[in-house]
Amino acid sequence: MITEEIGTFSDTVEEAAPVEACTKCTACNTVCPVARSTEIFRGPKFLGPESERYRSQPEAAVTAGLDLCSGCKLCEVTCPSQVTIQEYIRRAQNKGAEEKGRTLRDWVLGHTRLLSRFGSMTAPLANFGNRNPLVRLVMERVLGIHHKRPLPRYQWLTFERWFKRNSLSPRGGGSGRGGLATHRTVAYFYGCWVNYNDRRLGEQVVAILERNGIDVIVPKQQCCGIPAVVNANMDLARKYGVENVRRLNGLPPGVDIIASSTSCGLMLKHDYSHLLDIPGAEQVGARVYDICEYLWMLHEAGELNLDFQPVTTRLLYHAPCHLKSHGIGYPAMRLLRLIPGVQLEEVDEGCCGISGTFGVKVEKYDLSMTIGSRLFAAVKAAGSDAVLADCETCRMQVEHGAGAQSAHPIDILARAYGHG
Amino acid sequence: MPDTTTGVVVIGGGSTGAGVLRDLSMRGIDAVLVEKGDLASGTTGRSHGLLHSGGRYCVNDLAAAIECVEEGRILRRIARTTIEDTGGYFVSVSEEDEAWVPRFVEGCGKAGISCERISVEEARRREPALSKQVRTVFWIPEDGHLDPFYLVMGNVESARRRGAQVRTYTEVTGFNRDGNRVTGVLTRDTMTGEETTIGCKAVINATGAWAGFVAKLLDVEVKVVPVKGVMVVLSHRVAHATINRCHKPGDGDIIVPALSVAILGTTAVRVPHPEVLPIEWEEVRHMIEEGSLMADGVSTARAMRAYAGVRPLYDLGAEAEGREMSRNFAVIDHEQRDGIAGFASIVGGKVTTYRLMAERVTDLVARRLGVTMPCATAGVPLNDRDDELDQLRHRPAQVGVPKPHGDELALQPLVCECELVRPQDVAPWFEDPAVRTLEDIRRRTRTGMGPCQAAVCSYRLAGRLVTDRHQDGPAATRAMADLLETRWRGVRHVFWGSQLRQAQVTAGLHLELFNLDRQLMLEKSTAPAGHFPPPQGEGQGGGVEKAEVASQR
Repeated sequence: MITEEIGTFSDTVEEAAPVEACTKCTACNTVCPVARSTEIFRGPKFLGPESERYRSQPEAAVTAGLDLCSGCKLCEVTCPSQVTIQEYIRRAQNKGAEEKGRTLRDWVLGHTRLLSRFGSMTAPLANFGNRNPLVRLVMERVLGIHHKRPLPRYQWLTFERWFKRNSLSPRGGGSGRGGLATHRTVAYFYGCWVNYNDRRLGEQVVAILERNGIDVIVPKQQCCGIPAVVNANMDLARKYGVENVRRLNGLPPGVDIIASSTSCGLMLKHDYSHLLDIPGAEQVGARVYDICEYLWMLHEAGELNLDFQPVTTRLLYHAPCHLKSHGIGYPAMRLLRLIPGVQLEEVDEGCCGISGTFGVKVEKYDLSMTIGSRLFAAVKAAGSDAVLADCETCRMQVEHGAGAQSAHPIDILARAYGHG
Repeated sequence: MPDTTTGVVVIGGGSTGAGVLRDLSMRGIDAVLVEKGDLASGTTGRSHGLLHSGGRYCVNDLAAAIECVEEGRILRRIARTTIEDTGGYFVSVSEEDEAWVPRFVEGCGKAGISCERISVEEARRREPALSKQVRTVFWIPEDGHLDPFYLVMGNVESARRRGAQVRTYTEVTGFNRDGNRVTGVLTRDTMTGEETTIGCKAVINATGAWAGFVAKLLDVEVKVVPVKGVMVVLSHRVAHATINRCHKPGDGDIIVPALSVAILGTTAVRVPHPEVLPIEWEEVRHMIEEGSLMADGVSTARAMRAYAGVRPLYDLGAEAEGREMSRNFAVIDHEQRDGIAGFASIVGGKVTTYRLMAERVTDLVARRLGVTMPCATAGVPLNDRDDELDQLRHRPAQVGVPKPHGDELALQPLVCECELVRPQDVAPWFEDPAVRTLEDIRRRTRTGMGPCQAAVCSYRLAGRLVTDRHQDGPAATRAMADLLETRWRGVRHVFWGSQLRQAQVTAGLHLELFNLDRQLMLEKSTAPAGHFPPPQGEGQGGGVEKAEVASQR
């Protein structure tokens, strides 16, 4: 019948050419934090599917305004037609950068790992410089990094070296519920943030996992590549990705991979195989879990150590945009509500505005603060001991914009386990 | 007594009529063009937009092929902004096709069509869209896309600048005669019913498939065979160049990348009347299946709509049917043939040869009027200057984002995001008295011709109708509904996949959110249904001129 006839050329439409599936419903524009905050951004609908129709024409490269996309991916989460809006925007931006060249600033911000290594090696000096107004003025002029944007503190001892040092002593065999039937091992993808800026978070992750009788191994790893992706350097991101995929595919079977950074986790889970087309990335992605997602799964399996000390505190939770792309709900909230004494509420005010390196840039700092203003106001109005967020740059932005304390949800969990 | 007088009345606002109007005006002959619908709303606007190199006709219809070669080269000089110089491929996809190859090569040689055989590998490197079935490939550099709307508007505006007049939605109801001489044309405004008499020295019947109906008003016979062709529009270009099947011309053997879309064509079915053009599901499916033989991506692309046009084939009395009939044209001198002075018809032909057709019929009429000035249309560009700016194709680069986030252009608001139509592209047309419906705006600006088929831009146009043409709300609502209705007529033929979901969104938006059908029932407009009146302080101001100035800014 007619449906069968139609079927011959309809079934493949969505899969083969998702850009064609856009019905102009404009749902993406209504959730886009950038479009909501500035008149000069046309929004994901125009820069993604609508412009894509013209990008095959040599005389009509539609690139203007692409760099205003912060890469939060809320458009893709929202799209009822499953159009991969972000991928079109990123590819077009990358193509534009290849043709017109990148700024020094975007090159530097794409090489976050290199930058962080340098910052870590020269930690006291780098930290002094990052807080010196004169140095910051020079940085703004030369690099285009806004002088008001607080830059992360670097630490001299990296997580990688800390783990090596501490793993010399016998590890594993957590003190939690001894004699578990299943024995698990996870590989920890700590990411550049934990390695160079927040070793303590990494230590907490290891401690919590071990407390649950899980062995932690730390494979050698490269930057996940997301700073390169959003700074229009997909070749570099792919290079990083290929290296990570090779190393992670070398892990013994049965070893799950966990990440404590939302965006690193999203790259490993999804973008390596989709946006960057890295061979073998599907297999890696299938075994990657966000740390809170993983712990919640343990809980559901009845394996989570629930021997919590009460933590009396009033907390707010801000869900990072990239966490929404994971499609796992908010496992951090569910986990922390298991802890006696914890009062936790979500601030549902959308994107914080920083979007990784986006809000660092001199021409986007103000925009990034405008995007976050709703969140800042809500955080200030609610009052709390700390604002929790799984993503490190969200935490930086909330501290800067709302003047609040911030922490990774793991920090509270660690306190409940007595590792605070 | 006639209400106005002029030198020549041209009936028909397609490419031929527009070409005749321009030719007359360039020879200094006063002229008025009357068209019962909008300009380019008949055969011309419903063509598939292939600028013929002649390759398609070089075996069966050598005379037409030679005309295409010459006219194609002239159009590249005079109508550069309406042409996309894509070049084209002629591909064979079966053994049967390959048998046609020697005849094709011979035909190209005879007609003087440049044609180069390239290896399948090389062809696929240049045009990755070519399908796996492709066996032999010819590169025909002179095939291309000719935008029929811009072509007609360009001719008309050029004529208007020389004093010619245009009356759209003006139907010819009869003729004034003085003995055997035609002295005037009786017309009726199809929207207001207003009747007018235009006195003239001669009439040129350039109504194509409708030529027989006009001639009948003078009791003379012009035998035109209306042959329907169905086309399917895909939502993106699919290929970089036009693709023709290298075989005996048949159904579904042309793919034309046209600005932001691709057009698959076509069929050839004789119809009883030029306005009876049903589109069957089988025809739509056949277009897509045949197109898929030549290019990958045709079957997976989003089909946006289907439409049908009518060829005005002139019956030379031969036994030929449909495609077998010549695409040649004929000038009928009714003074010589039927003894009616001051009346000539131009029939047959095709959009690519419109200029030559206009030249031949204008030669005849000018001679009868004693005007000796020769035809100059081949030497002067439509916009009378070497126009650097191709409005349509440069739009993507002109939508603009302010520095430091983009280029230095200010951010342009858009009326139609699919087709990148800016307010300044639309605004001048609201001042043009020839524009009477939102469909007319669409034909002149491409507003509403993208994937959403006016779902979004229709209400923006309705708003502009209020601000730019001072219509009341109900009139604007009515006009919006009419635009959606005409779009719907084409969309309903491709109801599967994405376009079906699109239709659902469009219906949800307009019928549920806007409650459009109920609005139409409740709100009675003072304007007659179906159109909005011309602007106050009517003039024959040229819209294109203003549009060009605006877009250069």
